[in-house]
Amino acid sequence: MSVEDTLRRLLAEALGVDRAVVDRLPDDADLLAGPLPVGSLAGARLLAAIRDRFGVDLAAEDLALDCLQSLATLRAAVTTRVNGPARSG
Amino acid sequence: MRTEATVKCVVWDLDGTIWRDVAVELPPGARPRVLPEARRAVRLLAERGIVNSLASRTDPAVAGLVEADPDLAGRFVAPQLGWGHKSDAIGRVADELGIDPATVAFVDDDPFERAEVAAMRPEVLVLSPAELYARLDTPRFRPPVVTPDGRARAERYRHEQRRRSAEAAAGDRAGFLRGCRMRLAVGPAGAGDLDRLAELVARTHRFNSTGETWSRQRLAALAADPGWSVPVARLADRFGDYGLIGAGLLERAGPALRLFTVSCRAVGRGAPAGFLRWILARARAEGADRLLMDVRPHAANLELRVLLRGCGFRAAPEQPGLLERPLGGELPAPVPWLTVTEAGM
Repeated sequence: MSVEDTLRRLLAEALGVDRAVVDRLPDDADLLAGPLPVGSLAGARLLAAIRDRFGVDLAAEDLALDCLQSLATLRAAVTTRVNGPARSG
Repeated sequence: MRTEATVKCVVWDLDGTIWRDVAVELPPGARPRVLPEARRAVRLLAERGIVNSLASRTDPAVAGLVEADPDLAGRFVAPQLGWGHKSDAIGRVADELGIDPATVAFVDDDPFERAEVAAMRPEVLVLSPAELYARLDTPRFRPPVVTPDGRARAERYRHEQRRRSAEAAAGDRAGFLRGCRMRLAVGPAGAGDLDRLAELVARTHRFNSTGETWSRQRLAALAADPGWSVPVARLADRFGDYGLIGAGLLERAGPALRLFTVSCRAVGRGAPAGFLRWILARARAEGADRLLMDVRPHAANLELRVLLRGCGFRAAPEQPGLLERPLGGELPAPVPWLTVTEAGM
């Protein structure tokens, strides 16, 4: 399962919504203020699930939680920490 | 004879059709015995993009038995379980799916039910289970092209239903919260607040920006210091008074919010967001173009940090451990059901 796929699944679980709803969410949609707003509890749940699944504690490393901006930023944050810095392209 | 449209939805009876048993007569905890032909047909139809639904005269709680079967769970869209006429149930299924009843097939082992539907809804294709199984490979049950979109149709219908019920539930919740008449009163900490303030700062972990300890003595000094502002928030609703549930320690130079904390008895009601918005509005009214905030990540305060992010706080450039919120643009939206008042500031 790809990182993208897993993140969408974890987001759907954190929000308690159908996977299909999350699948329609564009990669760059604002997670906190966009069409499917992630509240404080769901956001905390999501970051905890990412820590359990990937062993990456974004909450501890990212004070301002920039990673929560969008699915794209979350994926980049997870991928960078799992694989080392991403190469361009 | 009219053109026979491809069937879009098969509405199934349960007792005697999907399973052998009469569900309401099963002993508690027993599972009905699903008929293998029915199991196979339900799956086959779904794979062809034909949606399955239910019309059964039974206790609506029987839905739990359907969902308990791994093959059947989630397969049936707009299920109708109740005591009404099946012809009406089929009408509701067609309405909910937005399809022509002439594209619905109804399957029931009971000749009376088949006759009722045939009489009341002549456009519906009415079949016994054996007749359905014999026709599965005829054109009416074989759409010419099955797209991935078609196979996902049942899921899409289900998702649409869930969205509607989530909206309804959300509407109820917002209505409930408005009906609570919640009032957040913000004012400067007075001498009488110091014991509670010290207790709140010491005991609150979840919505606590730093987790640092501040002694009662130090808090008393800050409350009296013109260089600092110590707003406290009290919450009340129609059920009663929550008392002093929030506090901020604001250093006017900066300005910098050195501590922000809200009791967990007041979260889940918009109190942290409402209080934070008040602090931001106040800082802006006093001429600040941004508010700085000390934040120490710890295990318990992740929710607060997500809230801060949602309220527009970002990492302050070149100031590790500090967030900042520009005050030039819009403030976070007010919490719709919360009335915020202020006194003595």
